[in-house]
Amino acid sequence: MENQLHKRIGLGVALTWLFICLFPLWWVLVTAFKPPLAVSQGATYIPFLDFKPTLQAFRDAFSGIRGDFMSPIFSSLAVSTVSTALSVLLGSMAAYALVRFEFRIKLLAGIVFAIIAIGGFIFTKEALGWSVPAALGSMMIIALVTSVWLNGKKLPGPIMKNDDVTFWFVSQRMFPPIVSAFALFLLYAEMNKSGVRMLDSFAGLVLAYTAFGLPFAVWLMRDFFSTIPVEVEEAAMVDNIGRMRIFFQIVLPMSKPGLVATSMIVLSFIWNEFLFALLLTSSKWQTLPILLAGQNSSRGDEWWAISVAALISVIPMIIVAIFLGRMMRSGLLAGSIK
Amino acid sequence: MTRDTLSKHAFMWPAFLIVLIVTLFPLIYALTVSFQTVRIVPPMPPEYVGLRNYAEILESGRFWNAIGVTATIVFISVMFQYVIGYALALTLHHNVPGASLYRVAFLLPMFMAPVCVALIARMLFHPVLGPVNEFFTLFGLANIPFLTNPTLAISVLIVIEIWQWTPFVVLLMLAGLQGLPNEVFEAARVDNISTWRRFRDITFPMLLPLSIAVIFIRLIEGFKVIDTIFVLTGGGPGTSTETLTLFAYNEGFKKFNIGMASALSFLFLIVVILFGTVYLAAAQRLTRRYQ
Repeated sequence: MENQLHKRIGLGVALTWLFICLFPLWWVLVTAFKPPLAVSQGATYIPFLDFKPTLQAFRDAFSGIRGDFMSPIFSSLAVSTVSTALSVLLGSMAAYALVRFEFRIKLLAGIVFAIIAIGGFIFTKEALGWSVPAALGSMMIIALVTSVWLNGKKLPGPIMKNDDVTFWFVSQRMFPPIVSAFALFLLYAEMNKSGVRMLDSFAGLVLAYTAFGLPFAVWLMRDFFSTIPVEVEEAAMVDNIGRMRIFFQIVLPMSKPGLVATSMIVLSFIWNEFLFALLLTSSKWQTLPILLAGQNSSRGDEWWAISVAALISVIPMIIVAIFLGRMMRSGLLAGSIK
Repeated sequence: MTRDTLSKHAFMWPAFLIVLIVTLFPLIYALTVSFQTVRIVPPMPPEYVGLRNYAEILESGRFWNAIGVTATIVFISVMFQYVIGYALALTLHHNVPGASLYRVAFLLPMFMAPVCVALIARMLFHPVLGPVNEFFTLFGLANIPFLTNPTLAISVLIVIEIWQWTPFVVLLMLAGLQGLPNEVFEAARVDNISTWRRFRDITFPMLLPLSIAVIFIRLIEGFKVIDTIFVLTGGGPGTSTETLTLFAYNEGFKKFNIGMASALSFLFLIVVILFGTVYLAAAQRLTRRYQ
């Protein structure tokens, strides 16, 4: 009896939320087909009944009369697929190393790194008058080499292990992105001045977004790899097969579901990202979210045009959500929260 | 052995270097800029001013206003996200009819660009032509200025945050529920313990660590909010919906006051670190009390 009641309450809650979830999506879908009159005379909901649907907005968008749609679509596609591929590949490699090898990093070596990098940068830039990229780049390399060398020595103080390395990756996401986006903008601007084009360029965006996706990729893939039995790899090691081949020919194919899920999550984050794109692009490599934000001011009341633009950015993500929904049912994502 | 050491480094270094270059690298630069006055328009030679940028921000009312706005939006919306998300995860876990449909539909908002959600919200909350207005007209409340009244604008932003990020809570809490051992619940059912008590005494404590993590992630992510506000209100009316990120952006890109914007983003970082430390300490106490 009680159970029946609970089932009914549950169904009610689920249906209510389903409506709340889908209504805005339905709205944007039908608005894309509305003629101007159906917008300006108050809210209308059902095509054919409330208004006569038209494809005009789509034709306008793709013919390019009302601003260029194709170039943001292209740059969004190119940037997000390349950076997703890179961050999932490099992230999986790092995650695999974190699962199968032991890392020992001395805290003292890390502190030395920070001191040399910050102090050396200020010194070479202010006292010697070096340019920002040169000063930063050279000091980074010196600091890195010194701390790697120090790490091999006997040092007092705490030692950081694999979990700390993972935490370091994940903690990059805890930073408010404005901190690094802004700093990256300043640095890219300096590099533009010295002739290396990073602002508003493919390379600049891909570098930023690969770093943006890496923490997720490392975190998720580490959990997937830790569920793979080590025996298969041990057998391969006995046959004297190299680690690289083991990783690419045995481990990666075995973790295909994990790779797909991770790629989709990373892809959605990069596809939707706004702040980095806002700061790091100006015209040529503007991505879809920037175009969308611009729609708002340039055509406030032309809802059909806004809806078409919104739909273009949403549709790939709907496909992603459907995929992930399937995976969720099979309990695949359950592993990644432990 | 040596070959393995080699591959260990070959696997780790590319990812490590990229994150180092993109996050730490510029951060050092921004740190030095935050102690200078640098203006692009009108161009001025950079000059070290010590902590003056920081002091100026701490004294400005706009900074505290931005903190207040951010905190209001984040705390209220995360609270609702957690409660609604948990409830939905429980219903989905107990297999209501049509569960697989809900699963996909409930995920959708999370995967949409916040900019896009804001554009849709702008249409929905239009004071004359939007469906929300039509709904309120039924109760005799026509043409409410949703986006131009400060309190209402913040409420709308909170509603959007809840709409978009409740799915995240559903996703993780559902995964957590599916990972719980079945035996405990079987035993409780045999002992005829009521559903409410089953939740209060078994499910909730067992998922408390996960809940703490989920709320933490949402709070940290919520602090970063800019896109929806950028599109929907631009921080207005006045500065009544200006969040920290938007404030830093305006300072750097509207006023081109780069030293100030860098200092601001570091203050923001300090706020987040302080908050995170306090939260995790409090969370640890709470879990210990439950055990």
